[in-house]
Amino acid sequence: MTTADIHALTGAYALDAVSGTERMEFERHLAECESCAQEVRELRETAAQLAIAAAATPPPELRNRVLDQIRTVRQLPPETSVVPLRRRSFGQRLTGVAAAVFLVVAGGLGVVVVRQNQKLDDVNAQASQMLQVLLADDAQILTMKNPSGGTMNVAVSRSHDQMLVLSDDLASPPNGKTYQAWTLDAAGTARSAGVFVPSNGTVSLAVSDFSDASKVAVTVEPGGGSKAPTTKPVMSGDLPTA
Amino acid sequence: MEERVVMGERARRLRAARSEPVNEVGAELLQRVARGDEAAFGQLYDLLVGPVFGLVRRVVRDPAQSEEVVQEVMVELWRSAAKYSPERGSAMTWAMTLAHRRAVDRVRSAQAAADRDDVIGRRDAGRPFDEVSEQVTTRLEQEQVRRCLQTLTDLQRESVQLAYYGGRTYREVGELLNTPLGTIKTRLRDGLIRLRDCLGVA
Repeated sequence: MTTADIHALTGAYALDAVSGTERMEFERHLAECESCAQEVRELRETAAQLAIAAAATPPPELRNRVLDQIRTVRQLPPETSVVPLRRRSFGQRLTGVAAAVFLVVAGGLGVVVVRQNQKLDDVNAQASQMLQVLLADDAQILTMKNPSGGTMNVAVSRSHDQMLVLSDDLASPPNGKTYQAWTLDAAGTARSAGVFVPSNGTVSLAVSDFSDASKVAVTVEPGGGSKAPTTKPVMSGDLPTA
Repeated sequence: MEERVVMGERARRLRAARSEPVNEVGAELLQRVARGDEAAFGQLYDLLVGPVFGLVRRVVRDPAQSEEVVQEVMVELWRSAAKYSPERGSAMTWAMTLAHRRAVDRVRSAQAAADRDDVIGRRDAGRPFDEVSEQVTTRLEQEQVRRCLQTLTDLQRESVQLAYYGGRTYREVGELLNTPLGTIKTRLRDGLIRLRDCLGVA
């Protein structure tokens, strides 16, 4: 798709009249095109007026159903930082390994989008969180080889306190076992950063709250994970210093 | 030149008169909702449910499924209220963007599409769509949107309505209107831009 083609998509995008892949492609373009982002904001405000014009009275009992349901739903925390994506050219930031990681992310998300259409908003939130890490000034990428197959990329940003553990070709753990990621502080104390099992090789795990950690490691653990590592790490790497 | 400036100013004032009270109230309510204020959520529900329900029903059509989607959308507003930031747009737009996305997600899954086609014109037969909310501001806005829609070319208006109210992709719109895709993309964009300028959305 040429730039002009992509730009013409602002209207279709603001109306959700694009396919899942086009949406992702266009959102990548939005991150580097401030005028497109501004236009999309305005066209969305305009589309919202179309919704207002369609206003109708819902069944009254719906209100109680909703109010009952929210009492059982935990609210998401606020976003603590917002990266000014548009100040910086996307190309400048995404070089070498970072670009490879980005493709992994996009590919992984593609799979998710196809499988779970309903969860698009969550996926979008996840994608923007990933972009924030990858575009951070202090973003660094560690690449670790898995002895039983595949490569794992870890994108780390200290300033965002975010780490993304990503792969698109990771071998599955033995039956009944799971991978578990750990962060280790200078004294070697391990803290669990989450368990994961690749789906078709794809892994994307977001880790935060690791300011004390100096290393990241992955072990194979019994299903469900362990409180502390019970095996030697299959992969490990040094985190960039703060 | 002089005239353009004046017109721009008038559009801005119109817009100020139209949306800002609602948006300010919406943004303030969302802030309280983000802190877990259930009473504020009740007010937010009353503010938004008319447009959300009307929009979702236009797209989804099936009454039972529409209600499910509206419920999903309202609960999602509760869940993610803390993610809302006024710099990215008004509370109303945020909610309508979510509602529209959820509605099209629902109808684009193949099974739902089949169900929908099956019930079109049966359960809905004879039921007027525009049981509008009684709020005066809403009625004024509806009038203005209808008037502005008339300023679009036929192809622009049909494309925008099929995409937004019909939940169609631009490819589907192209097929329905026997028009090349490039033309449809342009018409959607030009149509929305014309609508934006007519409504004075800045």
